[in-house]
Amino acid sequence: MRRSSSKKKSAESVTTDLFRSASSKASTKEMDRIDHLFNQYANRSSNLIDPEGIEELCSNLEVSHTDIRILMLAWKMKAEKQGYFTHEEWRRGLKALRADTINKLKKALPELEKEVRRPSNFADFYAYAFRYCLTEEKQKSIDIETICQLLEIVMGSTFRAQVDYFVEYLKIQNDYKVINMDQWMGLYRFCNEVCFPILLSPDLAASSANSNCFYHVQISFPDMGNYNPELAWPLVLDNFVEWILEKQA
Amino acid sequence: MEQKILVRDQESSSSPSSSFFFFYLCSSTFKNLFTEAKNTIPNPNPIIPLSPVSKMSNQKKRNFQIEAFKHRVVVDPKYADKTWQILERAIHQIYNQDASGLSFEELYRNAYNMVLHKFGEKLYSGFIATMTAHLKEKSKLIEAAQGGSFLEELNKKWNEHNKALEMIRDILMYMDRTYIESTKKTHVHPMGLNLWRDNVVHFPKIHTRLLNTLLDLVQKERTGEVIDRGLMRNVIKMFMDLGESVYQEDFEKPFLEASSEFYKVESQEFIESCDCGDYLKKAEKRLTEEIDRVAHYLDPKSEEKITSVVEKEMIANHMQRLVHMENSGLVNMLLNDKYEDLGRMYNLFRRVTNGLLTVRDVMTSHLREMGKQLVTDPEKSKDPVEYVQRLLDERDKYDKVINTAFGNDKTFQNALNSSFEYFINLNARSPEFISLFVDDKLRKGLKGITDVDVEVILDKVMMLFRYLQEKDVFEKYYKQHLAKRLLSGKTVSDDAERSLIVKLKTECGYQFTSKLEGMFTDMKTSEDTMRGFYGSHPELSEGPTLIVQVLTTGSWPTQPAVPCNLPAEVSVLCEKFRSYYLGTHTGRRLSWQTNMGTADIKAVFGKGQKHELNVSTFQMCVLMLFNNSDRLSYKEIEQATEIPAPDLKRCLQSLACVKGKNVIKKEPMSKDIGEEDSFFVNDKFTSKFYKVKIGTVVAQKETEPEKQETRQRVEEDRKPQIEAAIVRIMKSRKILDHNNIIAEVTKQLQPRFLANPTEIKKRIESLIERDFLERDSTDRKLYRYLA
Repeated sequence: MRRSSSKKKSAESVTTDLFRSASSKASTKEMDRIDHLFNQYANRSSNLIDPEGIEELCSNLEVSHTDIRILMLAWKMKAEKQGYFTHEEWRRGLKALRADTINKLKKALPELEKEVRRPSNFADFYAYAFRYCLTEEKQKSIDIETICQLLEIVMGSTFRAQVDYFVEYLKIQNDYKVINMDQWMGLYRFCNEVCFPILLSPDLAASSANSNCFYHVQISFPDMGNYNPELAWPLVLDNFVEWILEKQA
Repeated sequence: MEQKILVRDQESSSSPSSSFFFFYLCSSTFKNLFTEAKNTIPNPNPIIPLSPVSKMSNQKKRNFQIEAFKHRVVVDPKYADKTWQILERAIHQIYNQDASGLSFEELYRNAYNMVLHKFGEKLYSGFIATMTAHLKEKSKLIEAAQGGSFLEELNKKWNEHNKALEMIRDILMYMDRTYIESTKKTHVHPMGLNLWRDNVVHFPKIHTRLLNTLLDLVQKERTGEVIDRGLMRNVIKMFMDLGESVYQEDFEKPFLEASSEFYKVESQEFIESCDCGDYLKKAEKRLTEEIDRVAHYLDPKSEEKITSVVEKEMIANHMQRLVHMENSGLVNMLLNDKYEDLGRMYNLFRRVTNGLLTVRDVMTSHLREMGKQLVTDPEKSKDPVEYVQRLLDERDKYDKVINTAFGNDKTFQNALNSSFEYFINLNARSPEFISLFVDDKLRKGLKGITDVDVEVILDKVMMLFRYLQEKDVFEKYYKQHLAKRLLSGKTVSDDAERSLIVKLKTECGYQFTSKLEGMFTDMKTSEDTMRGFYGSHPELSEGPTLIVQVLTTGSWPTQPAVPCNLPAEVSVLCEKFRSYYLGTHTGRRLSWQTNMGTADIKAVFGKGQKHELNVSTFQMCVLMLFNNSDRLSYKEIEQATEIPAPDLKRCLQSLACVKGKNVIKKEPMSKDIGEEDSFFVNDKFTSKFYKVKIGTVVAQKETEPEKQETRQRVEEDRKPQIEAAIVRIMKSRKILDHNNIIAEVTKQLQPRFLANPTEIKKRIESLIERDFLERDSTDRKLYRYLA
């Protein structure tokens, strides 16, 4: 239901975009080039950039297809379906990035990453990442394995320790086979709000010493002093914290 | 013409103008006579009466004037001194107890005249000076008294002083009424007391001696000597007469201090040498002694003060030590049923602040400790009936303690209840055991007991039931046990069964018991159905009898229907019943619960001995096979009956391996059933009884996996109940924060079970996932209801 309505909306906006672009020759030209670029990767029969096209795009951009920047690109395009870009999405994304050649797109990526990493955008991007992985109709949750990979991509660089611990926890626990949106968003808040204790096993210690992320500052906290179980965290996080404390003890 | 009206002041002369009674000083008649005398005293204030005549003349003459009669009173200049000398002499005489020759009238008149002639001041100061002098003399005399006679002397002189003071007051009555009143000086009687106080009681050489003598006497009495209580009372009374402050300052305060010191030492001595019970006895004795003392010779107001001293020194200061005293403290008393000591402790500790609190705390912690051991000891929880009986015994015991020793104190009852609630729930099997206890009672335990006693037992069980947090678990087990009782026809008393159901209903509401009642209804309906069945099939009166109990699905504990092949004779009957039943009740489905049935079989053994065997349906299936063959292997039996292996093994075991009941034999002989074993009829079977009941080897208590299963079922049943509670609450509140929702759900479900907060949280998350609720976008603690 939601999906179809949003499609309608975006179709309208495209027409107005086209109308506006008609008023300016330069933008018409730009749009032509964007369309041209689309056609370069699109599958002719479906008129979509399919997984194959995306892989080709990635190799031209010289990034891995599991790189967070590709996910960011999808976010910018507001791509609906995992592994596919529609023409419309492509136009929306590239126009916003002011990129009409592969080189420009490549150069726009760092800027895009900066934009996404702004806290106001990141929460939206984080939620988007979850939705992006919902491939089936009426699917509401994502299996643990996918969640671990997604977590790695989305927050691996900013919350290294949390992600490592959480992934480890998810893999050994038996209570959850899937993670839902509520739990996913809970984890994001958790990472941002809870001082994470780092009682590191040697290998983790080494890896964290090499990176220069801000959680270093928080190493001095003796325990998750500010994890307040009364804040109605999703149960999976309660259990996670309990697991960590047990591990430390 | 001037007219003068003359009025003579009759009282101006010093000689008596009218005759008085003569009065010999005698205190008993004194007052009476005095009033008569007073009545005859002429009016001291001269009045000029206006006669009617003068009024008449007033009308005639204009310048009419009335002038006071100018009468010069010549006063003897020595009058005051002379008169005072008379009075002073009289006072001396009174003090010397030589008042018999005195004339009250004369003295009164003299004092009266002195006041009248403005010599009140002289009279007043003279009286004080004279009395002071006298008292000084007396105090010397008292001081001179040696040893024991000191108090007596004091008492004697005090009595004399009182008598004298009374007389003097009466003589000086007029002064007391007019002069003292107008000048606001101290009245004669209180003045006399003050003078006694200042000159005798506070006389330095008497003051401390008196106090020490008194305290000494009290001390002597405390150590068991007999003292003159009358004398004591009189002397103390003197202090009281001298005024509250004198009593308090000069006696009570030092007395309390001395007592405090005395009891401090004594209690220390006692506590070192006595056990708790003896100590309390002594303390109680001391307390009654002090109360007795107050009643005999102290001011009643002192009672509170002296008891509080004893309470503080003897109890409050040693409270902890007493309660915790090893081998004799509170715990020991409780263990050894020392009701008398407990009562004493309660009554004494009640008097001091936090006393009862201390007792209660110790009792509570002892109860909890004891209860915890009781319910967690694996030995003691082996036999469920014994286990519950122990709980009941403990409960009875403490009930009795509170009833007899602790005055049925509500706070103690609450402590008892909360302690039981605490430890009963420590053992997760308590609900099961309580249900088993009831089961045992209703199966056999109630035989030969009157209805009233049955009610008592059931009421006690209900009391334990009330302590349970997981009432739904109890319900689960109760249902299972009830089902077994009903189906095997083992229930002893239908009334008792129903009575308990009613009790459960009043306790937990209709919902709790509706299914249990449904079971009873099924039993009744089945009886009718069977009557109808045999009524419509008269040809069935010959041959085996089939009794079917039709159980409504849902009302009865669900047990997986274990199919088995019934013997031909029985299955024919079953088919007939099926068609009869489905013919009268359309749209129903019947499935046979062969695992729950029983059968009575008539058997003839080798030497022709006949027996009736009471067996389970499975056992019947096995035994019937031997009608056609002499020897069967395990495999053959399994094939023919299709009874699941564990059940078959259990049933063969009880048929072949129980001594005295082994109607079949097996080869090889062993305790356990092997798959290769073979079986044949035991022709030599004998029994003293005609009817032989062959039980199935079943564990009465649930086995570990069964327990887990029940637990799981209970947990599953709770989920929808928790969700329903959440939705109910959110529907009415729309927005609610996390902690409140947990609290409300817990409260709502309390009568059934104690909801686990984690489980509630899980349910909330599940409801969020299903879009019944959502988290507030800014305050994550808030949930919103999505209509």
